[in-house]
Amino acid sequence: MAAQALRPDPVSGRRRLSLGWLATLPFFAYVIAFLFVPAVSVMVGAFQDKANHATFFNVHELLQHPYIDAYWGSLRISLITAVAGALFGMLVAYAAVRDGTPRWIRSVLTTFSGVAANFGGIPLAFAFIATLGPLGLVTTWFRNGGYDLSVRWPQFQLFSERGVELAYIYFQLPLMVLVIAPALDGLKREWREAASNLGAKGWQFWRYVGIPVLMPSFLGAFILLFGNAFAAYATAYSLNQGQNIVPILIGNYYTGNVLDNPHLAQALAFGMFAVLAVMMLLYIPLQRRAARWAK
Amino acid sequence: MEDYEAQEIEFWAKLEEEGMSRSSMLRRSAAAAIGLTVVGNASTALGATKARLASPPTKETAAGLAELVKAAKKEGHLNTIALPPDWANYKEALHNFPRKYGIPITNDNPDGSSAQENEALRSLKGDSRAPDVVDVGVSFAISGANEGLYAKYFNSNYKTIPRALKDTRGFWMGDYWGAVSIGYNKTLVSNPPKTFKDLLKSEYKGKVAINGSPLASNSAVSVVIASALANGGSLSDVSAGIDFWSQLKKSGNYIPVQTTPQTVASGQTPISLDWDYNNLAYIKEFPAANWAFTIPADGVYGGYYAQAINAQAPHPNAARLWEEFMYSDQGQIIWLKGGAHPARFADLVARKVIPKSVLASLPAAAIYNKVKFASLGQQAKAKALIATTWPTKVG
Amino acid sequence: MAPSAFVWLLLAAAYFLVPLYATLEFSLKENKVGTPCCTLSNYSWVIHNGDFWHTIKISFLLAIETIVISLLLFVPTMYLVHLKLPRLRPVIAFMALVPFVVPPIVMVVGLLRTFRGTPHWFYGEPWGFLAAAYVILAFPYMFFSLDAGFRSIDVQTLTEASQSLGAKWPTTLFRVILPNIRSAALAASFLTLAIVLGEFTIANLAAFHTFPIFLQYVNESQGFPAGALTLLSFLITWGAMLSLLVVGRKRGARGAAIAGAR
Repeated sequence: MAAQALRPDPVSGRRRLSLGWLATLPFFAYVIAFLFVPAVSVMVGAFQDKANHATFFNVHELLQHPYIDAYWGSLRISLITAVAGALFGMLVAYAAVRDGTPRWIRSVLTTFSGVAANFGGIPLAFAFIATLGPLGLVTTWFRNGGYDLSVRWPQFQLFSERGVELAYIYFQLPLMVLVIAPALDGLKREWREAASNLGAKGWQFWRYVGIPVLMPSFLGAFILLFGNAFAAYATAYSLNQGQNIVPILIGNYYTGNVLDNPHLAQALAFGMFAVLAVMMLLYIPLQRRAARWAK
Repeated sequence: MEDYEAQEIEFWAKLEEEGMSRSSMLRRSAAAAIGLTVVGNASTALGATKARLASPPTKETAAGLAELVKAAKKEGHLNTIALPPDWANYKEALHNFPRKYGIPITNDNPDGSSAQENEALRSLKGDSRAPDVVDVGVSFAISGANEGLYAKYFNSNYKTIPRALKDTRGFWMGDYWGAVSIGYNKTLVSNPPKTFKDLLKSEYKGKVAINGSPLASNSAVSVVIASALANGGSLSDVSAGIDFWSQLKKSGNYIPVQTTPQTVASGQTPISLDWDYNNLAYIKEFPAANWAFTIPADGVYGGYYAQAINAQAPHPNAARLWEEFMYSDQGQIIWLKGGAHPARFADLVARKVIPKSVLASLPAAAIYNKVKFASLGQQAKAKALIATTWPTKVG
Repeated sequence: MAPSAFVWLLLAAAYFLVPLYATLEFSLKENKVGTPCCTLSNYSWVIHNGDFWHTIKISFLLAIETIVISLLLFVPTMYLVHLKLPRLRPVIAFMALVPFVVPPIVMVVGLLRTFRGTPHWFYGEPWGFLAAAYVILAFPYMFFSLDAGFRSIDVQTLTEASQSLGAKWPTTLFRVILPNIRSAALAASFLTLAIVLGEFTIANLAAFHTFPIFLQYVNESQGFPAGALTLLSFLITWGAMLSLLVVGRKRGARGAAIAGAR
């Protein structure tokens, strides 16, 4: 294996490093061939018009209504569901992983999470409509109990942004569980014991040991959840036709039956790229700081 | 040929007109039927099947059909795209064609959009999976023809298609049209809405849905245009329609959920606005929903789709045979059975070849006589207005 | 079991199972007016549908192929990054977010046009074209899962210990490192399996017939059977995950012994 060259070489340290880089070549080659080529075509197309001349027009359009509203909509939903999914996901994962919980619960939870993390689109939308819709299961339960939800709680509407967020949690939370559970495993039991031996209370363990150790993985998982929600659209499209988010707009302009402006769609994708780039710029220094504490 | 050019100029001129009514379409089709210049070249230069396979024909007559069938059978397959079986009774067409000619069909992406169909023609060019025929919205048919995606083909029944419903260069022809309708669940909606104005009633709170979003679905755009007609707007200005739906959203009548077979069958969307042929299909497919539909008298608006053949079709003769099949009396009646008015409807009626049972299953002809169609310019304007104002006003 | 753990697990169970129960109730209804519960005819429709079995077989094989390629590609790379090339990590993390930004619709059109002239065994077969695209789709999930996993073990110590015992690189990677990131690799594999069994847009526009295509078709054309299909596919995917877990655990047992006691 090319990694042979990583054996400590007292004579030429430089040779060691360059061959290490070589070993990552298959990975980079693959990603460039299958990811960057389409990605670059998008970025280039964003700055062209239908006659393939260079223009800033489409990108400039992004700042107008309703496109800028779509970005805010996407950001809101992604942030809210990423935070909620991350927090609740961590709590549920911890509940399953910690001592005292039977082992089978963890197996069930992780496998179920694997399925639920990709449960979306029409089936998920319908499951929620069948539960919380006007004729839904839970709505009817409450109505039979004399409690008409639409009267007592008029602000909640399943067919709205809140409803979409509630449905998004269905795949965000399991995604968090899957990614954070291995990290929770890394919180060795001995540390907890050592901390309590030193007189630390439960919350103090978390504040000074647990959370700092988990933070890098938590941040990584959060970014993953954010990206996951940012790119999702099938569920939103089925639950709330008026939901103005960027992926739906892109679909409309690229392959809808009504609007036809592929370059605007590419500009919208470019905008998504910009948003994620900003998130990464925030994430990297935070990660570095967190990693320092973890070491 | 000169006649084609003259017709083409007239065709493009018509696109700028205010709007076409069904009766004027019928008038034009009658004129076309009185043996005008169209097609008719006697010799179709057929010769052997081999010649066919090498260069598929551009025109067809009834006499040459046998050769076409032979060549198509040799090709042995047909690729279609975006033909939902429950849309305009395509299920029957997709079933009968293979049975009649022994040519199996692969129907790709049944719920694809017109844009996806044209994109498939571009992306899969030269691949054996590429679609042979497409059924697209008219604006996509025109842009596809201009882009060179389609092959010229005048099928043997070309003469009897109304001129306003076809491309005189031969790249596409209108296949069927429908009118916007209000479908409803008879069990859950005891007092069914008959007009757009009815939808505002408070008894329909949380019950009204549209099939798709006006930003993505042609049928939904048509609903908005029809609502505009019903609320004092016009084909050139659909803002009244957008305001109407904004009002429905505020009152809580309109639920912005996507209508699917599941929501219809389960009763979660008791009222659904859609093309008449789609609502007709629900009646047959979901007895549990106890479905029925009416064409709202205050806004009778129709839209049609177009058939075209892939210029680089992997099975060119089979593609042409499909078009022959769908434009034959038998094929046209298949569409009519699904509730979609086929392009040659006037001709079929005149020759009295439509079974009475089929005519009886459709709403009365009287209401269809009032249907309005928008020109391409009007449609483009409506779409642009919807794109910019729908998200903020209705959202 | 700690009471707070119990509460959270119960709440989670309620949130996840009630919508599934609502779908179940729907799937047991008959396509007639006014009949009370319950019928299995919708499930029978699904099970007797040839397309169902045909497409699910294709999707499963595709998923396994994608998992294998992904692990082969990403595990050694992540290992290298954590061991020797930590500066590369942010770069790869950034790259891992790009699949989220390129909408599937754009990706498939770009891929179809770029690879148009390639031989049929790649371009015309799901095992080539689709698998390649799915590895990219799995990339973000693979990266962040494996990253969390590699963080939770001491890569340097394990490697040095293994090498000092005379192990060569393959042995170190497969018998020392891999068992220790087993749960992360499994989580990543679960996610990949679920992605492949749920990916629609790329398969659709590239004209392949996979299970999600069948699922979408049923959802958009059938009423009650769609509910039955939803639950059946949920159960089948869950079963696949459980078997992955069992397979992973069997291999892991041996590895844990080598890695030493915690």
